[in-house]
Amino acid sequence: MQVPKGYLGVLDLGFDAERYDGYWDGSGRHLDDPAGSSLAQYRLNLAGGWRFSKDWQVSLLLPMVHNDSRYTGLTSRSTGVGDTTVTVLYDAHDERSIWKVLSAADLLPSVKVGGALTVPTGLSQYDDVDLSFDVTGRGFYRLDATAQVDKTFRGLAASLSLAYGVHLPRPINRLYGAPVTPTTKRLGNKATAALSLGYRLFIGSAGDALTLTGALSWMHEASTVQAGERLPESTVNKPAFSTTLLWSSTDHDWSARVAWAHTLQRDGWGTSFPTTDIVSLGVKYAIR
Amino acid sequence: MRSADRRAASRRLPPALLAAGLALALAGCGGMADDLFPSGKDLSGGAAGTTGPAVGQTAPDFTLAAAAGGEVTLSGALAGRRGAILYFTMWCDICDRHMSDMERELFAAFPDVRFLALDYVSGSAPDAAMAELNAGWADRGFTTLVDVGAVQARYFKTYMAVVVLDRDRVVRYRGEYLPADVRAALEAMPPVAP
Repeated sequence: MQVPKGYLGVLDLGFDAERYDGYWDGSGRHLDDPAGSSLAQYRLNLAGGWRFSKDWQVSLLLPMVHNDSRYTGLTSRSTGVGDTTVTVLYDAHDERSIWKVLSAADLLPSVKVGGALTVPTGLSQYDDVDLSFDVTGRGFYRLDATAQVDKTFRGLAASLSLAYGVHLPRPINRLYGAPVTPTTKRLGNKATAALSLGYRLFIGSAGDALTLTGALSWMHEASTVQAGERLPESTVNKPAFSTTLLWSSTDHDWSARVAWAHTLQRDGWGTSFPTTDIVSLGVKYAIR
Repeated sequence: MRSADRRAASRRLPPALLAAGLALALAGCGGMADDLFPSGKDLSGGAAGTTGPAVGQTAPDFTLAAAAGGEVTLSGALAGRRGAILYFTMWCDICDRHMSDMERELFAAFPDVRFLALDYVSGSAPDAAMAELNAGWADRGFTTLVDVGAVQARYFKTYMAVVVLDRDRVVRYRGEYLPADVRAALEAMPPVAP
């Protein structure tokens, strides 16, 4: 979530409904969940951003998570806070114009760089939780370096987002509520990239706009290391396709969105990760 | 309120909301402190000679239905063996990774160890057999047992994790699947005399 230039802050309320349907194993083979399974997670995302100087902004994302799981013989529902993310962004370069190209400088995109800290405020498998279906967080602090490049030209907008995160190691002394031999664990470094292309269409005569965006994203997480040992087949790869329809008001103070993200349930399109569909709804208000 | 006051108030609003959100995150859930301030204190110790799930304690001699039919008693499964591995599976991607690694790294190295997959989600022998088949684990070296709330929830409270037992049912290892630690626990147990 970002605070547009010239605004003081934003408030954002989002809702995700994620349905799990099968998974890729360590070799990339896609397998179905056992018959009768139904796994879903719903997230209410509360977010706020504040531009505290002309080029700097900070934002906070706090999800409330509800798990609704039926996995053959097991049924479980749980609700709790998810992991919190605090992000700081710096506007390294601003676009000069989106309507006319008068010089080479007008072709330069806007560039934002920054950092994010994920705080494990959710319930993880290392907390006092009985079932793997009931976790709402991963249990690790993570530091990310981020970069985003945006270029708009008339109704077209292209964006490239990159992030590289390092999980901090932590001690572990229990698993799903049961004590285990104390050890240390560190999740692998995480790299994400997303490329999107959108088109904005003005509707009516007042200047409201609809923007349709398609995106391809890719996530890679390196092997987990526990007690100095690299865990087998813990490397994760997950590509996803998504599309977003965004309405924004004439003055851009209000916007609303609906999005759908999909992972292909086919062999070779990912490794060691569930395949999911995510439907998202959201509304955002920008404070001048 | 004057315009300047409103402006000043609106400038204070975003950081106040951010702080409120963070406070909600920190205060909203009682169990999160384990992750915010993780501990390495050993909570697992159990007295040797007693029945319990901790390392050093003795596992109960449970009997479970087998996916292939019939029943398996733990003491019977251990008879004539160096020991046994109990792997609590829900046939998920993480389970598949762990089981694949055991198949690759441990089956041949420890032919005198019994590998038991305790399916705690399927609920019946036919369902467990179907889950085992769908996950590609039929006839690959694990004996699948049906365990709904019997051993896993009431006793070991261990998901997608492994328990190593010696021939006397003494717990030698319990925790996440760590190949080197599991192998070390197996190697520490005397092999069966030929």
